[in-house]
Amino acid sequence: MASFDSINYSIRPSKSVQRGIVFEGLRRISDVMNIGDAVYVGFGSIWFTDFVQAHKILDIDDMVSIEGNEIGFRRATFNRTFRTISVVEGRANVKLPDILEMEGYCARPWIIWLDYDSALDEEVVEDMQWVLSNAPPNSVVLFTLSATLNAYGKPKQRPDRIRKLLGDVVPDELTKDDCMKETLPITLANLVMNFFKSEAADSARPGGFVEAFRLPYLDSIAMVTVGGILPAKGAASAARALVENERWKGIVAEIIEAPPMTLREIATLQAELPAVDALTRERIRELGFDLHERQVESFQRYYKYLPSFAEIVA
Amino acid sequence: MMIPGDKSKAHANPTKAFFVRMITRDITLEDCIFDLIDNSVDGAWDLAGGRPLSLDDKTDLSAYKISIYVKEDGFEISDNCGGITLDDAAEYAFTFGRKQDADTEKFSIGVYGIGMKRAVFKLGSEIEIRSTYIDGDRLSSFRVPINVEQWLASGDGNWDFDIEEEDDLEQPGVRISVAQLTGAARRSFASPRFVLNLRRAIARDYALHLNRGLVIEVQGRTVPGRIIELREGGEFTPMRAQFENQQEEERVFVEILAGMAAPPPDDSEPSEDYDEGQNNSGWYVVCNGRIVLAADKTAITGWGTEGWPQWHPQYTGFVGFIIFSSQRADLLPLTTTKRSVDETSAIYRQYRPKMREATKEWISYTNTRKQIRDEAAKQERVAKAIPIFEVEVRQEVQLPKIEPKPKIPEANVLYTVPRSRLRNLASAFGNINMAYKDVGLRSFEYAFEDLVGDE
Repeated sequence: MASFDSINYSIRPSKSVQRGIVFEGLRRISDVMNIGDAVYVGFGSIWFTDFVQAHKILDIDDMVSIEGNEIGFRRATFNRTFRTISVVEGRANVKLPDILEMEGYCARPWIIWLDYDSALDEEVVEDMQWVLSNAPPNSVVLFTLSATLNAYGKPKQRPDRIRKLLGDVVPDELTKDDCMKETLPITLANLVMNFFKSEAADSARPGGFVEAFRLPYLDSIAMVTVGGILPAKGAASAARALVENERWKGIVAEIIEAPPMTLREIATLQAELPAVDALTRERIRELGFDLHERQVESFQRYYKYLPSFAEIVA
Repeated sequence: MMIPGDKSKAHANPTKAFFVRMITRDITLEDCIFDLIDNSVDGAWDLAGGRPLSLDDKTDLSAYKISIYVKEDGFEISDNCGGITLDDAAEYAFTFGRKQDADTEKFSIGVYGIGMKRAVFKLGSEIEIRSTYIDGDRLSSFRVPINVEQWLASGDGNWDFDIEEEDDLEQPGVRISVAQLTGAARRSFASPRFVLNLRRAIARDYALHLNRGLVIEVQGRTVPGRIIELREGGEFTPMRAQFENQQEEERVFVEILAGMAAPPPDDSEPSEDYDEGQNNSGWYVVCNGRIVLAADKTAITGWGTEGWPQWHPQYTGFVGFIIFSSQRADLLPLTTTKRSVDETSAIYRQYRPKMREATKEWISYTNTRKQIRDEAAKQERVAKAIPIFEVEVRQEVQLPKIEPKPKIPEANVLYTVPRSRLRNLASAFGNINMAYKDVGLRSFEYAFEDLVGDE
C-alpha cells in the first residue's frame, strides 16, 4: 500500500520533531555554505510537508518530487503546493539520473531527502550508492527508513540480513542483541552512516562526507533519518566546523519519542519552560496530569519542535 | 667524432621525486600498512628465537603487541618488538634497497629493504620514526624525522635522513607516525569500511602469528586471529606433507596441507547471494609465517593451467596451504608487495605439482558427489573441523570413494520475479535470508504437495 493511503504523515509528533531538527540544521548549513541556488529533491507524496518548509525556510524555488504510484502521481500533481515543484513519475533509481540531466541541475547543489516509509532493502541501498556518488558538490543528502523489526527477519536472521544489505561496513560481531526493538534503530542509524562515509570515500568525493544528521525516532513505528553534507573541496572545513559545534542538534544519541499530547497539556507544560531545573514527573502530577519519565524528558528536549494538532471541519 | 670530456658519461642517477613516485605506485595502502606490521613481526620473531615457522612450532608471541591507529588526519603504528638499533638505522634501515652485507638470516619476512620507506611515503609527507632499543644494559633512543617536501627540495645529491636524539619510548620498540596524509590515505582512513576490512585482512594474513599469541590492535581494539580449520573424520582426512629443500646451500622448509574446510554447495550456479564458503576457498601461500596469497582461485596457484581446470563454484569448500620457511627470506617465492607469489620462482614451481594432485582429488570428488548428493552429505556431516595445527602428517588427501548411481533425468527450472516479492516469500517461509534457489525449491515442493500429493 502506498504510504499516503495509510497514514497522514503530517500528524505524527516525533516525525514533526525530526523534521523540525532537520530543517533547522539545513538552515544553518545554508548560512555557512554556498547553497543559495540549491534544488530540493524528495518524495513529496500528496502532502508536500517537507517541500513547504524547503521553500519557506530555505528559500528554495526549484523542487522535484518523485512519485512511484500511478494514482499518487495524479494526486501529487493536483496537490502541488507551489508552481515551481515538478512531480516526476517512476522509481527513484530510474528518475534520479533523469533529474541530474535536467537543465543546470548537475551544477547546482541538491538538498535531497529520500524519506522512505519502508525498511532498508536492496533498492534503497542502490539509491544511496547513486546519491553518494552522483550528488553535485555542496549537496546535503538525507535518507529516512523504517526500523520495523519484522522487515529485517526474525531476530537471529537480522544481522545476516543487514550484512547482506550493507556489506563490509557491518562488523563481524553484530549480534541479534543489536537488532532488537530498543537497539535496532540506533544500530541501523550507525551502520547506514558508516555506509555513507565509506561510499563517499570510495567514490573519492573531493570534500569527503560530513556526518550531520542521525535521528532515530518513534511514533508507534521506529524510523531513522541519516544524512550529511557532501561539501565541495573548499567548503569541507566550514561544514565540519558547523556540525562539530556543540550547538549542532542534528545528531542525537537516543530515540526521539515525542508523546502525543492534547493542546491543553502542551500549553500547561510550555508555561513551565524553559525551566531552571529539569521538569519532573512529580511536577507534572502537581500540574494535574501524568506522563512517563521518558516522555517528560523528551517533551523538555523537543517542545520547540512539537506540532499542535486540531481538527478542522472544512 | 671527438667526445668532450664532460660529455663522456650519460647521467643515469635517479631523482628522489622519481623514486618516491615509482615505489609507491604499485602498492595498495593496506599492503603498505602490512609492510610496517611485517617489520614489527620480524622484530618479535627475532626476539622470540627466530626459527622455521612450521605449524608444529609452539613459539609464544604473547609478549608482543603492535598498535595501529588510522585517522583522517594521521597514522600511527607502534610496537614493543625490540626497536631498531642506532647502527642499523645509520647503516641499513633507511637505505633504499637491501645492502649486500645486510643480515638476512633471521626467518624474517622483509627481503627487499623497501617496505618501510615505501609505506611512509605512500601514507603522507610529515613522518617521524622513533626507536628505543636495548644498548648493552640500558635503553637508547633516537628519532628520524622526514619531511618529504623538504627532502625532495634539498636536491638529488644527498639522500640521507637526519637522526636525532629522543626520549625513550615506554618499552623497546618502534613508533612511526605520519601526518599530512596523502589524498588516498585520508580518504581511505575516513571510510569505516576500509578500517573494518583492514582488521579482517590482518585477521586472515597474520592468522598464524595471532594464533601464537601476538597482539595486533586497530583503533585500540584487538584483532582476533582467524581460526583455520580442515575437516577430518569418516572418510575425510586432510593431507599434510612436509619437505626440506636445498636452495643456494640453504634449507627451505615446505609444508602442504589440503582438504575439505566446508562441505561443497549442492548447487553451484553463480548466485547473487554472498557466499562466505566460496570466499574462503582456494589456495593459501605462506612465506615465513605471513599469508601472502589467500583463497586464491587463479592461475597463480595453478587453476586453469596445464590440465588443471579453471576455478568453479562447484569446488567451494576446498582449502589448501603451502607453507615456505627459510632463514633467508630471499629464497622464498615472495613478491615485493608480499601480496602474491613470484610464479617464476624455482622452489614454487617444484611444489606446484603436489598442489595440483590435492586439488584434482577434490575436483573429482565434487564431480561424483553431484550424483549421490544425499549419501555424500551424510559422510560430510561426520567430518569435524580441526585446527590446521592438529592435522597429522599424511602424504595424500583422502576423500570418500562413492559409487555413482544411475542418473534420474532432471529438469532445470529458471524464472524471474521481482526481488522484493521473493524476499517476502522467503520471509514467509521463515528465513528472510533464504537463498533464491531455496525459495524456488520450497515453492515447488509446496505446490507439489498441494496439487500432486503422493508420487
